[in-house]
Amino acid sequence: MIKLLQVLLRNGGLLTFVVVEIICFFIVVQFNERQGAIFSYSTGLWGGNLLQQRRKVADYFSLQEQVDSLAAENARLQEILANRRMMQVPYRDTFYSVLYDSISHIDSIRRRATRPEFHFIAAKVVGNTVNNTNNWLILNRGSDDGVKADFGVVSAQGVGGIVRHVTPKFSMVMSPLHPESRISAKVKKYGAFGSLIWEGGDPERMTLKFIPRHFNISVGDTILTSGLSSMFPSDHPVGTVVEAGEVDPENPYFWRLLIKPSQDMTTISHVYIVDNLFKTEIDSLILKTPGNE
Amino acid sequence: MNSALMPSVWRFVILVALQLLLLLQISQSAGTYFNILIYPLFIFFLPLRLATPYAILLGFACGMAVDFGYSSPGVHASAAAFSAFARSFIFGFFEPKGGFSGKENVFSPAYFGWAVFLQVLAAFLMLHLFWYFSVAEFTYVYFSTILLKTLAAWVLTMIFAVFYTLLFNPKR
Repeated sequence: MIKLLQVLLRNGGLLTFVVVEIICFFIVVQFNERQGAIFSYSTGLWGGNLLQQRRKVADYFSLQEQVDSLAAENARLQEILANRRMMQVPYRDTFYSVLYDSISHIDSIRRRATRPEFHFIAAKVVGNTVNNTNNWLILNRGSDDGVKADFGVVSAQGVGGIVRHVTPKFSMVMSPLHPESRISAKVKKYGAFGSLIWEGGDPERMTLKFIPRHFNISVGDTILTSGLSSMFPSDHPVGTVVEAGEVDPENPYFWRLLIKPSQDMTTISHVYIVDNLFKTEIDSLILKTPGNE
Repeated sequence: MNSALMPSVWRFVILVALQLLLLLQISQSAGTYFNILIYPLFIFFLPLRLATPYAILLGFACGMAVDFGYSSPGVHASAAAFSAFARSFIFGFFEPKGGFSGKENVFSPAYFGWAVFLQVLAAFLMLHLFWYFSVAEFTYVYFSTILLKTLAAWVLTMIFAVFYTLLFNPKR
């Protein structure tokens, strides 16, 4: 202690000052309620901030990993959602519902009632056009990932198109903004279905044809996928009606509705490629029917 | 005991007693912004030739004595140690052109005249009070409060310090 004092006195004011102030600081924090509380609060805050900053840096470096895992998780959930919509069919119908409940231990029927119909593959848009007559998307998933031609593409907001060509790593998707694109869609209010096409020009406007005129369609009505095309699960959002009441000049028994697509094709980035597990079976069935070859 | 330090010992006793018996009671009844800290005069009137480390240790002791009365361990001690450290810089700044002659025992009006004395004392007390209220509040969230309290206490303390100097006119 004496030695310490001697060292302090020999080394001048600054060192003595620093040492005395450190001692004072400890006394102040230790024996004063107010200062002690502020000190422990502040150190807690600094410690918390430090941890938060460290977490932010760590998060930044694992960002891509997180995006990938979230996309995969989203694909899984979309898949569950799409399949759940299909499974609701037997529940809605009283007859099936009773049947299903009473014979639930009979596996073949249960399997049929609860079988999954869709598998979703998360993908990222790596190429996109909206200003041409024929618009295409390029996705970073290809045949290596199980993608095949005629798979549907959806995003969380809406419909993204139909796969046309596939390479091992990439796939070419016909955008809904393509004159050959035909997407089966229905008016949510009635369930009446028609065909969604693009007549060129404004990427924010599409046309829904073949909705019979006895349905009273109004502006703001929701349009969903019909689930009748085997490319898209049913009840996925498509858009809303922005202009109603115009009779189709080519076919006067139907409306010609203008739709604002819910997925803005100019900003589409994360999508899911829809693999209908029964597509081959459905297609072969269609081909067997005379007149459909 | 060294006779040169005896006046300082007396000042220590008088100023700490004055601080705890009179000024503490006044500020407790008069409100938050009414603070008079007279004990820094003990540090201020320590012998000019006293080395800074000793001044700091004596300041710390004086501050701790006041802290016992104020039930704020370390707060006054911290401020007193700081002002004892700052003292040498302030005195150095106001040092006469030829340096101190060696005859001056303490920095008092008797040796330096009232004009210089008041400037030095004002700077010294301002630093002490600012440090004291900073440690007392302990957070710069209340920076404006710290400044206001410092200014109010500085005005009041200056008045008291001048009275004290007129009364005792310290020379040693």
